[in-house]
Amino acid sequence: LGKTVLTKEQNQHLAILEGAYKKLPHPSDTERSRNYLPRIAVNTPAHYPQVPPVGHDSLDFLCKLNCDTLFFMFYYMEGTKAQFLAAQALKKLSWRFHTRYMMWFQRYEEPKVITDEYEMGTYVYFDYSKWAQNRKDGFTFEYKYLEDKDLS
Amino acid sequence: ATALSMMYTGVQQARDFEDPEGLKEKSEQLLHEWIQHHSSLPLKENTKAFQQFVLQMNSQGLFKTDDMITRFFRICTENCVETCYILITKNQRQACYQRLDAFVKLIILLVKHSGDQTNHVNKINLFNKVLGLIAGCLLYDQESKLGQFEPMPFHRLFFMLLFEANLPENNLEPIIYHVLQAFVNVYHIIRPTKAPGFAYSWLELVSHRVFLSKMLQVSQPTPDQSFKSWNMYATILTQLIKFLSPFLRNIELTQSVMLLYKGTLRLFLVLLHDFPEFLCNSHYQLCDAIPSNCIQLRNLVLSAFPRSMKLPDPLTPNLKVDMIADIDANPPKIAYPYTYNIPSKLKNDLDSYIKTRAPISFLSDLRSYLQTSPEIGSRYNIQLMNALVMYVGTYGIQALRSKSLTPTHTNLTHAVHSTYIDIFQTLVADLDSEGRYLFINAIANQLRYPNSHTHYFGCVLLNLFSEANTEAIQEQITRVLLERLIVNRPHPWGLLVTFIELIKNPQFKFWNHQFVHCAPEIEKMFLSLGKNCVKTN
Repeated sequence: LGKTVLTKEQNQHLAILEGAYKKLPHPSDTERSRNYLPRIAVNTPAHYPQVPPVGHDSLDFLCKLNCDTLFFMFYYMEGTKAQFLAAQALKKLSWRFHTRYMMWFQRYEEPKVITDEYEMGTYVYFDYSKWAQNRKDGFTFEYKYLEDKDLS
Repeated sequence: ATALSMMYTGVQQARDFEDPEGLKEKSEQLLHEWIQHHSSLPLKENTKAFQQFVLQMNSQGLFKTDDMITRFFRICTENCVETCYILITKNQRQACYQRLDAFVKLIILLVKHSGDQTNHVNKINLFNKVLGLIAGCLLYDQESKLGQFEPMPFHRLFFMLLFEANLPENNLEPIIYHVLQAFVNVYHIIRPTKAPGFAYSWLELVSHRVFLSKMLQVSQPTPDQSFKSWNMYATILTQLIKFLSPFLRNIELTQSVMLLYKGTLRLFLVLLHDFPEFLCNSHYQLCDAIPSNCIQLRNLVLSAFPRSMKLPDPLTPNLKVDMIADIDANPPKIAYPYTYNIPSKLKNDLDSYIKTRAPISFLSDLRSYLQTSPEIGSRYNIQLMNALVMYVGTYGIQALRSKSLTPTHTNLTHAVHSTYIDIFQTLVADLDSEGRYLFINAIANQLRYPNSHTHYFGCVLLNLFSEANTEAIQEQITRVLLERLIVNRPHPWGLLVTFIELIKNPQFKFWNHQFVHCAPEIEKMFLSLGKNCVKTN
């Protein structure tokens, strides 16, 4: 139908839009704030992968990851689906979360004592302040501190 | 209705700066304390802290009247926005989020605890008022800052409000429909033609996955409400198209327009992929708004078909359209009240002509109804053209049905049906090339997935081609079909089927026409298209 003459108002709109183009929204504006890993957009070379591999957001994929990676996801990606999946994967790898110490524990051997309230024995745990796995002998894991929400 | 009026009160009160003395200081102090407090809390809500805060607000007299609480919200919004302007220049976006998120949490908690558990009216009204107020602040801010306007704080506020309102822990599920409606209304108030400086943020907000899935999923309380929210969403989309259309039509494609257009295309692609039934339902309203030269955008809408349906390959040799299941089924009723676009006098005359086939003068008057301006390029009322075609076609289909006939070449020219074909033929012959282009487009907009409209209008178009008394008409029909097919995919099923029929069926003598051979590149294109379609024969 060919061109028309833009009205004064439409020209004004175009000028304002031009201004808005310089203040485009960031991807982080429309997601929960990330305290530890904020988004920082940079131009990466084209030969470098631009998107994560297919299926990276599945439980199967996470189960193949190193435990340290899962701990990292758990502590540094709070309140995300990634954290949820990491917790699921850790549980599957028979780690248990202690709600008082806020740390993950794994039986090093069969507990020496098991009652209805607690179990006692040697455990491996992940210390987030030292960022390392340690062993603890004679530790009492009280079940009231066991995080037992069904994550499935 | 009260919810909406609350919203508009909010919008207005954003410009009322006559605060009682000391209120600004008191409010800012409280907000500051809340933000400090909020950032030290774990993600989960701390009810005790909130109760304490409410007591404090109360003792400061902020809950005394509605007016006071509105002023409190306005001062908080202004304060957050001002701080963000400063923080952004220092590149501290995270710090902005912290303040804005804290303010949002406060709003949500106040909404959640307003009124009692069973009476939701208070909650809904307060929510509407706050949204209106933020929208009002946005409009005021844009007016006063013009080119310096910063959309981020408002963008974040609206996004977080939607996000928080949908969290199960905030217990707003019972009123979620009203919450969505409030967002639809507020997005209308700050639509791009009203707040062009907010256009990119606006597009992000209306296409955000949380909003999109809530608006378009059919899992709402009643199917009736689903359709309502479908219509609301279609209206949001037309607002976007209306803003873009003068620039798209003029091919005024600055980088800024291109980016917004690209975002629009992407949104439509998501809709086509995830919510095709929505596009099927709203195609009329959307095509009414999309400018004629936006072929691909229109094709995205017209290519949508219900997921339960399997479309036969249009290139199948000897495809018998009449035999396809669903070809007699009506598409969903057009929810958009398109007949309102037809003036009542025209409608009366049209109805009586359809009934009595008289007076003959009606046909010669038709053109003057459609032509509204002498200016070339905007001569015609496009919405009226679309409505007229749809209206006549709908009755034409009914007329055939009442005689248990299906649309075929002979049936269409049959005495029973010639009234409708007369109207179409008069239009195609009487209109100038601009009007005819719009008219043929209006027909082509109905060529979609297998349904009664696709079948009928496809036959009408072929009928107009074969009965045309000038080659100009045939050339224009070919042009409309062709220009919708030479763009990148997707292509509507009905459009392909109609075009293939045209070039394949010897009855139309397509290859004998001059315009097919007018230029070597056009001839080559037709030959390759023809080969594609005919080789399997």
